[in-house]
Amino acid sequence: MKALEVYKLLPKTNCKECGFPTCLAFAMKLAAGGVEPERCPYLDEETKALLGGATRPPVRAVTVGVGARSFTVGEEIVMFRHEKTFYHRPGIMVCAADTSPVAEIRRTAEEVRDFVVHRVGQDLTLDGIALRCESGDPDRFAAAAMAVGECGDLPRLLIAADPAAHEAALRVCGQFLPLIHAATTENHAEMAALAKRYGCPLVVRAETQVKLADLAAQCTAAGAPAVLLDPAPRTMGDFVARASHLREHAVTRAAPDLGYPLYLDTVPLGTDAALAAGILRYAGVIAVPPLPHPSLLAALTLRQNIYTDPQKPIQVAPGIYPVNNPGRDAPVLLSVNFSLTYFTLLGYLEAAKVPCYLFVVDTAGLSVLTAVAGGKLDEEVVKKAIEATDLAGTVGHRTIVIPGFAAPLSGRIEEATGWTVRVGPRDAAEIGEFLETETEG
Amino acid sequence: MTERITEVAVGATRTEGGTRTRSYRIGGASALPGMGDAGSRPLVALEICDDPALWPAVVLEEVGDLAGDLAGWARAAEEWWNADLVRLVLTSTRRRGFDDPAAAGRAVEEVLAATGLPLVVEGSADPALDTEVFRRCGEAGEGERLLLGTAEAERYRSVAAAALAYGHAVVAQTPIDINLAKQLNILLRETGVSHDRIVIDPYTGALGYGFEYSYSVMERVRTAALAGDADLAMPMISAAQDSLTVKEVREAPDEERAGTAVEWEFYAAFAAAVAGAGIVCVRHPRTVGVLKEAVADLWEGAGWP
Repeated sequence: MKALEVYKLLPKTNCKECGFPTCLAFAMKLAAGGVEPERCPYLDEETKALLGGATRPPVRAVTVGVGARSFTVGEEIVMFRHEKTFYHRPGIMVCAADTSPVAEIRRTAEEVRDFVVHRVGQDLTLDGIALRCESGDPDRFAAAAMAVGECGDLPRLLIAADPAAHEAALRVCGQFLPLIHAATTENHAEMAALAKRYGCPLVVRAETQVKLADLAAQCTAAGAPAVLLDPAPRTMGDFVARASHLREHAVTRAAPDLGYPLYLDTVPLGTDAALAAGILRYAGVIAVPPLPHPSLLAALTLRQNIYTDPQKPIQVAPGIYPVNNPGRDAPVLLSVNFSLTYFTLLGYLEAAKVPCYLFVVDTAGLSVLTAVAGGKLDEEVVKKAIEATDLAGTVGHRTIVIPGFAAPLSGRIEEATGWTVRVGPRDAAEIGEFLETETEG
Repeated sequence: MTERITEVAVGATRTEGGTRTRSYRIGGASALPGMGDAGSRPLVALEICDDPALWPAVVLEEVGDLAGDLAGWARAAEEWWNADLVRLVLTSTRRRGFDDPAAAGRAVEEVLAATGLPLVVEGSADPALDTEVFRRCGEAGEGERLLLGTAEAERYRSVAAAALAYGHAVVAQTPIDINLAKQLNILLRETGVSHDRIVIDPYTGALGYGFEYSYSVMERVRTAALAGDADLAMPMISAAQDSLTVKEVREAPDEERAGTAVEWEFYAAFAAAVAGAGIVCVRHPRTVGVLKEAVADLWEGAGWP
């Protein structure tokens, strides 16, 4: 269905409640298959069904939990992030066993709720708590669910083979719409009934593609409001192979009953590698054991990297960046606005602990070598950048250090700007040594 | 049309004219990992250097006295840490005023004598030194089928000449750009370096510091090759060489620094293997084991027919 045909079916009120600025913008996104029609609260069921059938994202959206901490996965449309982007980062949910003391379960949940890392303007957080029924006792499982109660609307995942255990736990935490794991060929009727009664998303688990598709179809037909697929991998490698297979079937729309987000439990599979694999290859919800800080930091950073928009230009804003609290006599280091150059250089400058100014000029996001070769870095660019910023007022000297690969420009920059030019190293790794020698001299 | 990645030989045993105790053929994939026949299992290279002044502190703390003992460090890479390859980075050539290319050749000889593993050599980074440094390294490793680097767009002739003269393969590095990668491969071919002697280095940014661009460029290079672009159909090498100087590692509490270093390298290197890299390079010895295990697991995954 084309965007304009979709648009005709929308309310055309531009109310923005779907999260898009206009109905037309929403229509374009719908037509591209990147969003669910349910985002619009004003569509009648018939229109939703019509739009859903024609525009449904190849991987359907599933929301886990309620309130501010709830998260949505799915709505993915490509195999590779360079083809478009990956939209909904996987939710990482930390496991606690119901056999642990109640105080320990509560502490794990609180740690998950409060964990945050600030990185390049974003808060990296964990997404929820996973309770695993290891006791086999529904009452004990319910007590564990109760222990998490004080953590408010932190999303929950309930893992149990026995529907009776789920029923007991849902009685105390069903209002948080937990994700429940798992419906299998043995118990799917009871699990689907629970999912329907509590309005919870449901994971279906099976060893083969045919069984997974059957289970998903049966559970949705029985009223389960949303489904995730667990391909029951025995190893991390199995997961990567099966997840890739499922994603391919979904994005080519070869099998509508496989167009759901994927579930991965890393606990039996070897944590770090499985977690990395799930982030890279298509997991929607990932259950992990409590992880040491270094693992968490690396995993959340990888997730942040993979779920950035790959079409975003690789650039940083031109300007003056103070590093290590420089004073007016600190050296000025010219660099380009290719973000990789910037971050690499910044890393070495911070490590060197020498106060300085990083003076980033606009080279259209090109690296030093390509900018010099392509004429994007020349004396005019430098001159304009000095004029456009308050470099002359920021420092009390008139010397600028240029990258080693820009050495051929040194004379022309001096002539055009009147600043003294010194040639720095080619390799950012050597900048610390260079600055130390310079500041000594 | 589905194509296959060219196989590149790395290292030569006695029967192959060298002295290595093993040799590898990397490449051979007709699909990305987990999506079909991904070819030979990625190799894990441990990087060592001949002048530790420019090496990450977190590694120097781990290796202790070995940092000043090139032969011992190389032997430990094989015997203690169980690396598939040794990558010798000639950091001595990065020092200002370096004027002893013969020493670079001696370092290569020393490492070859100390270990039976095939060797990747990362030579000088200065065009003024390249010719002599690469010649000495190439000569020192004659017959051993080194993987010699690094060729870049502005400076590839010296390394290509040394590889041709002494029978080595070449690392071809470009800054995270599929078109530049292709262009450099064409330039190298015109110099006489055949496709089965080129390994693409698309440049790997550290995790959290541009890694996302590197990851996607690797996937793009691989998918373009499999769609029929022969000038990109070479194996890839990935070394997120700035991993251990990032803020997260530097500022980690003392008791967590080594762990953070290993995780930082592991996540990027494993992701590179998922994106199709045939050789992944790390510097912290403890990354080697976990990475090898993960890559083996990835390679043994059973999908569905």
